[in-house]
Amino acid sequence: MNIASARQAVSGASIRISRLEKRFGAVSAVDGVDIDIAAGEFIALLGPSGSGKTTILMSVAGFEFPTSGSIHVDSEDLTYVPSNKRNLGMVFQNYTLFPHMSILDNVAFPLKMRGLEKAERHARAEAALETVRLGGYGKRRPNELSGGQQQRVALARAIVYRPRVLLMDEPLSALDKNLREDMQLEIKRLHAELGITVIFVTHDQSEALTMADRIAVLKDGRIQQIGPARELYERPANLFTAGFIGEMNFVDVTVERATDAVAVRLPWGETWSLPASAVVEPVRAGESAVLAVRPERLQFGAGTAPVVKVTLSDIVYAGSALLLIGRLADGTEMRARIAGASDVGHLAPGDIASFSVPMEALLLYRGRD
Amino acid sequence: MKPPADKGSLALGACVYAVLAFIIVPLVIVIPMSFGQNDYLAFPPSGFTLKWYAEYFDSRQWRAATWLSLQVAFLTAICASVIGTAATYAMVRGRSRLVTLFQVLLIGPIIVPHIAIAVGLYLFFQTIGLSGTIPGFVLAHTVLTLPFVVFTMAAALGKVDANLEAAAMSCGATRFAAFRYVTLPLILPSLASGALFAFIISFDEPVVSFFLSGVRQKTLPRRMFEDIEQNLTPIIPAIATLLIVLSIAILLGAHALRSRSKTP
Repeated sequence: MNIASARQAVSGASIRISRLEKRFGAVSAVDGVDIDIAAGEFIALLGPSGSGKTTILMSVAGFEFPTSGSIHVDSEDLTYVPSNKRNLGMVFQNYTLFPHMSILDNVAFPLKMRGLEKAERHARAEAALETVRLGGYGKRRPNELSGGQQQRVALARAIVYRPRVLLMDEPLSALDKNLREDMQLEIKRLHAELGITVIFVTHDQSEALTMADRIAVLKDGRIQQIGPARELYERPANLFTAGFIGEMNFVDVTVERATDAVAVRLPWGETWSLPASAVVEPVRAGESAVLAVRPERLQFGAGTAPVVKVTLSDIVYAGSALLLIGRLADGTEMRARIAGASDVGHLAPGDIASFSVPMEALLLYRGRD
Repeated sequence: MKPPADKGSLALGACVYAVLAFIIVPLVIVIPMSFGQNDYLAFPPSGFTLKWYAEYFDSRQWRAATWLSLQVAFLTAICASVIGTAATYAMVRGRSRLVTLFQVLLIGPIIVPHIAIAVGLYLFFQTIGLSGTIPGFVLAHTVLTLPFVVFTMAAALGKVDANLEAAAMSCGATRFAAFRYVTLPLILPSLASGALFAFIISFDEPVVSFFLSGVRQKTLPRRMFEDIEQNLTPIIPAIATLLIVLSIAILLGAHALRSRSKTP
């Protein structure tokens, strides 16, 4: 048995989560979630704690049974199938290696449960350990390995029986930053090598953005937006996603005109006409709305585009970027991120700086209630 | 330079040594008495003989009582550790709202006076014909020893990550296989130590045995009380000495098991 043949044998399964609901008493942990995951796709469930992302994963894993809705893997209905019959790989947050078993026995455990002969399961476990670059570690005990190594063993154990889906519940949150970045690449590499479908739960947006093909942003048990990283970042579908993913400036405005070109009145009295592309959510004249713009889209200095004047309070030099923090005339906080090499030596806190706002960078949402 | 000893710590030291003395002195008295040549209990004993030990081992009555007690203690240890572990597992891992009620019921036998349990069981067992039988003794002693197993297992299970079983099940293990291959090996040292406690408690349990013992089926403690009432020869300190040695051996065994469980 070698790794090359193992690779060929494995390919991902498609997953369909339909109208999934999970209530704990009066609380809805998951409230009508639909996700279609293509075979071999890497999808991240991203959200703050209590958003329902872990409950969705546990429902797919079979540790929670939904109140209603269904889960299909390759058109097989798994909604109420017990976890041990699902043949899905799972990696938990805290490694969950069996402390009384050697590394090799840990990795071979799923094969033992499937009734394989000892010689074969050890050979395949060793191959899986090599896949996660831990060949030769089989004789050690879990407590003799570092956190990162333990999580790689857990990964090997999850893929050793070649499941077609790999579920990961915040697998990197217990690791320190450098190790986390190594493991992100490791998991990406494995995903590419094995062609396995991955559902990855995280509360770390940069992790989700860098790793996943698509990201589902969750809040209060509902999907706020689902899409590839670029779409989520450049065109957040609502105010929550806009504020949750990356940094965003928000300015409260009033809608002057909603037909033809939308026009909004800014707090200091100016009226801007927005391009149609800026309107993310439909608005009506007279209503309040929120104008959003990423800090790195603001351009230092007055130009042809509309200009905002910001009274600076902090100037933070961070190598590659320079962060300028200040307030608009009405007190709204504004952040601008410009190239670190920009010549702004004359600026000091208290100064008023002008920034041009490119029209195509603006996003308009319905007002906050 | 040593710091001056203050009166408080001196008093504390005195108390500690007094407590230790009260624990150890009875042992120091009983052991020499078992070797005394007098036909009655005397301290300090005169002479040295092993005849009381010989008498104990030669007597069919004593041997029968010891054998009964060993059987009862062995079966009690098994019943209490199996039931206690299962019950504790349900208590620690269960989501039922009845958990608190179960907890109180399981620990109850420690709080309820043994005499109350004994009288109750006596009347009940008389009616259903379990009095003076091995199953009767085992049932009664299982009730008495359960709390000790439950305490030991609650501590042990609390230390085992519940996610380990979830991980095992995600590897394809059934619920039972997850327990059998993951949780059980991890709690086994504590389980064995709980079983040893159950054994030793059952082995020298006098109160319930007093009520449940029949004319022929007498446990060792029951037989000893009978001998104390009728003869009071140094055979009692001889048996007591043997029990002390057995208890110490079991406690050392339990300790070794528990310290092994701390270093996986």
